[in-house]
Amino acid sequence: MKQKKLMKYQNAVLLIAAMGFALTGHSRLAQADPKAVPQAASASKLDIRIPLQDKTVRFAVIGDSGTGDRAQYEVAQRMEAYRQATKFDFVIMLGDNIYGSHSPKDFEKKFEQPYKPLLDAGVKFYASLGNHDDPDDERLYKPFNMGGERYYAFRKGEAAFFALDSNYMDPKQLSWLDQNLKESQGTWKICFFHHPLYNDGRHHGPDADLRTQVLPLFQRYGVNAVFSGHEHVYQRIKPENNIYYFVLGNSGKLMTHDFGEARERVKGFDSDQSFMLVEIAGDKLYFQTIARSGETIDSGELPRIHP
Amino acid sequence: MKHTCRSWLSLILLSIFLFSCAIAQKGDQGPVKEFQDRIDNYLSAKKKQDIEKKPTDSPGKLAQEKQQTAEKSQQARPEAQRGDIFTPAVSAYFKKQIESTLHGPEGSRVRASLRHAEPLPDVHLQVNAKYPKNLPLQSTPPTLLKNLPPLPKELQYRIVGSALVLYDMSAGLVVDFIPGAVPAA
Repeated sequence: MKQKKLMKYQNAVLLIAAMGFALTGHSRLAQADPKAVPQAASASKLDIRIPLQDKTVRFAVIGDSGTGDRAQYEVAQRMEAYRQATKFDFVIMLGDNIYGSHSPKDFEKKFEQPYKPLLDAGVKFYASLGNHDDPDDERLYKPFNMGGERYYAFRKGEAAFFALDSNYMDPKQLSWLDQNLKESQGTWKICFFHHPLYNDGRHHGPDADLRTQVLPLFQRYGVNAVFSGHEHVYQRIKPENNIYYFVLGNSGKLMTHDFGEARERVKGFDSDQSFMLVEIAGDKLYFQTIARSGETIDSGELPRIHP
Repeated sequence: MKHTCRSWLSLILLSIFLFSCAIAQKGDQGPVKEFQDRIDNYLSAKKKQDIEKKPTDSPGKLAQEKQQTAEKSQQARPEAQRGDIFTPAVSAYFKKQIESTLHGPEGSRVRASLRHAEPLPDVHLQVNAKYPKNLPLQSTPPTLLKNLPPLPKELQYRIVGSALVLYDMSAGLVVDFIPGAVPAA
């Protein structure tokens, strides 16, 4: 009898505890405001797979990020946790930096607010233009470091970066690219732009016409790595013509179940948002792709193929 | 004797080919020149009232300057209408260039590029009005850009549905357009 009463009390306690848990969970869900996302994993528990050597070029990569949604904020928060641990000091943006309208509020909600901790820490963002970007507003927006141009180049240590406007690859831009790649003294030459040259994603596919125009220049002047977005997934492409290709278009947007047959990709990920960390140390490029959840979905070490 | 005849025949055929090329090129010079003159007029009218934009930290300033540039550009040509830049002769030239690009040796690649570029629906376009709000800018295939007359940096060709649009980047305005210039890829 006593035992039965005890069990009843136990059940009541369990029920109250479960209700309390459910209520707490509910209040968390109710706060589904991008600005109120929970803290990312602490730096001490981070899985870091880049070598963090001295005097290397270390940066993050995001693509198709500017939604202003909760997922973008959570990726940004994960990036900040990794910045504290890895001290990367710049980010390259692969286009679609601001989706939809481009009012001052949009710049705040879709860029300034999510990346505030990074911006406050002095991290520089270098943008390229996507099809959802406003070329005039964004090239003139100082925090995107485009210097007022649709396409531009900059140097970080031994690496030379070329941000291209793949929306509008006119003869003038091709001639600029030819000249700048030819004159570049960078040991590593890295190009980044929105539309991928190789792509297994079914939503957009590769841009074959763009590839025909830029690839001969990449090969002639020894471009080593190419980063693109547009397709809302992550892909590491089989190296083609001695060049490494990455597609990262899921730092805000996401297209789940987007992959068809694996023709070009070595690794693909289409079930969560992600960003990349890259470290260039001498003749090696180290990379790590991290999902919004914190899981490392790809990593590796790539030797520089061109002499 | 046989060899000499063959050489003469080749020479005559080559001359005919070069002559027809020269005629075709001369025929194209008219509309291209007309187009470039009209572009020059557009820009010189616009430049008289233009605002010099510089990089800024303030998206508010960017929005304000864009609005001012749009208003001034609109005021510079209050009577603007379709065909001001793309006159019938110029339109015919552009349609011919687009047609030959889409069905030339690189046509299948250019058409594939158009299909993969997040094609836009046919929307209502209006000359001297703002580019439709929140509508992405579809990429324009590089091979097509090579076959169209070059533009100054303020202007771009854009494809919206089946229309070829002349887009003023700094003002965000539709300068002119050719409906039905780009058939479905």
